[in-house]
Amino acid sequence: MIRGRSPDSATQRAGLGALGLAALAVAWELAGRAELLGPSWPPLSSILATLADPTRARLFRRAVAATVAEAGQGYLVGILVAFGLGLVSVLAPVSRRGLDRLAALLNAVPMIALGPVLISTMPRHRVPVALAALAVFFTTFVAATAGFAAASPLHHDLLSVFGAVRRTRFRRLQLPASIPILCTGLKLGAPAAVLGAILGEWFGAEDGIGPILVASMQNYRIDLLWATALLAAALSMLAYGVMSAIERAADHRFR
Amino acid sequence: MKPPSSARFVSSARPAEWTAEHGNGSGEQRPVISLRGVSKAFPLRRGHRVTALDDLSFEVRPEEFVALIGPSGCGKSTILRLIASLEAPTSGTVLVEGRPPADLAREHRLGVAFQDHALLPWLSAWDNVALPYRVAGRRPDRDRIAHLLQLVGMTGFERARPRQLSGGMRQRVAIARALVLDPDVLLLDEPFGALDAVTRRHLNVELQRIWAESRITTLLVTHSVDEALFLADRVIVLSSRPGRVRLIRELPFVRPRDRSIIRTPEFHALADELTAALDEITEGP
Repeated sequence: MIRGRSPDSATQRAGLGALGLAALAVAWELAGRAELLGPSWPPLSSILATLADPTRARLFRRAVAATVAEAGQGYLVGILVAFGLGLVSVLAPVSRRGLDRLAALLNAVPMIALGPVLISTMPRHRVPVALAALAVFFTTFVAATAGFAAASPLHHDLLSVFGAVRRTRFRRLQLPASIPILCTGLKLGAPAAVLGAILGEWFGAEDGIGPILVASMQNYRIDLLWATALLAAALSMLAYGVMSAIERAADHRFR
Repeated sequence: MKPPSSARFVSSARPAEWTAEHGNGSGEQRPVISLRGVSKAFPLRRGHRVTALDDLSFEVRPEEFVALIGPSGCGKSTILRLIASLEAPTSGTVLVEGRPPADLAREHRLGVAFQDHALLPWLSAWDNVALPYRVAGRRPDRDRIAHLLQLVGMTGFERARPRQLSGGMRQRVAIARALVLDPDVLLLDEPFGALDAVTRRHLNVELQRIWAESRITTLLVTHSVDEALFLADRVIVLSSRPGRVRLIRELPFVRPRDRSIIRTPEFHALADELTAALDEITEGP
């Protein structure tokens, strides 16, 4: 049964993954209890207890809501700008080189260095959104321009033979052909947007995961620091997971 | 605007054996496709060039089905690409309806089927056939699309995506797509070349039937002598590297044709002659 093997190996992979995760959790727990990595590395169980503490539920909820809102707005803005510039670069090829350079330049500036610049140019509560947008901009721009160039030469020939003008070629061929690659870019951009938003919050935001991280670090609240960090990681992974599912669906539909 | 096209409808009552009777009558009608002294060289690395076609001339008359055969690498596909305006000749002229070939494509009056079906994977069979309408900025004609899908035997598969179809079915859809706008010129680049022999034979019979209904001026590239003899009014044999016209044969078979013609002595004689010519080209003098 050749066909039977693939679901088997899929279950096997999932099982192995779960096993690896469990092993990591146990190792963490033991290392934390024995303070192998010092007192600032607590066991997993105490971090989870902090996360589940009902008196902190409101704090975490508000923080997650704020960060998700900022990361989400930044994600949308970053995608729209990147997609728009990608569109310009494909419909006006003369601008392609310049836009590529601009994107590479923006990507080369460390986000942490941009923070102070942004604070001096915009209201503080906008900085997380701006950094999230910047974080997602580059991958989306690269994915969009690569995606618009992804259609096969044969399909381009076909559209030429049928007398397609540039706009029609883009709409009927380049745009649909770009969707799988675009979705890969959006998948990579999702955790980047979360990271960008949290980083932006460090520059003086009132709500969100970032301020809790900063406050608990300064006040030596080790459990709270780890719990919040875990929350941030979970948020990133969730965003990545959702976009992975969308990417798979797009791949199935458009490839 | 398009004299050869309107001529097709006016003269559709013409006897089927017209080309056989007027074998050498190319002077009486303006050719639809004409190549005059066409050469095509492709640059290689370090300034070297390879000459694919050299001083090639031939014509395709209105409503004629011409098959180009030749060994691999004789520039057969390059000829189609020149007529489709996907390439420009290094020297010489390529004219379609007396004008540069790009005009025909721009006016959405060219139909093409490649060896690779080139269907868009995200579109259903129906939408793939409707694509030429959309590219031309026209509303897809539902009746016409249904008719063509029926003609190629794909009724019932309208919603299937290319990956759900067999190789033969994809080529059927590609043929329907090439014909949907009722083009003035049809270019076929080994459309069944990637299929198994049985499917290929079967599709050739159907292509012959479909073509007999529409009589679009057609140029077919193939390396199968049988395919060329079965489908065409005239066969042009090309020599290889660089491609030149080696032999031209008018075919006497009346339309509509069925598989029985391949058992006739004329078919055998022509097949032997063309195969010998191809062998000679491949083995050298």
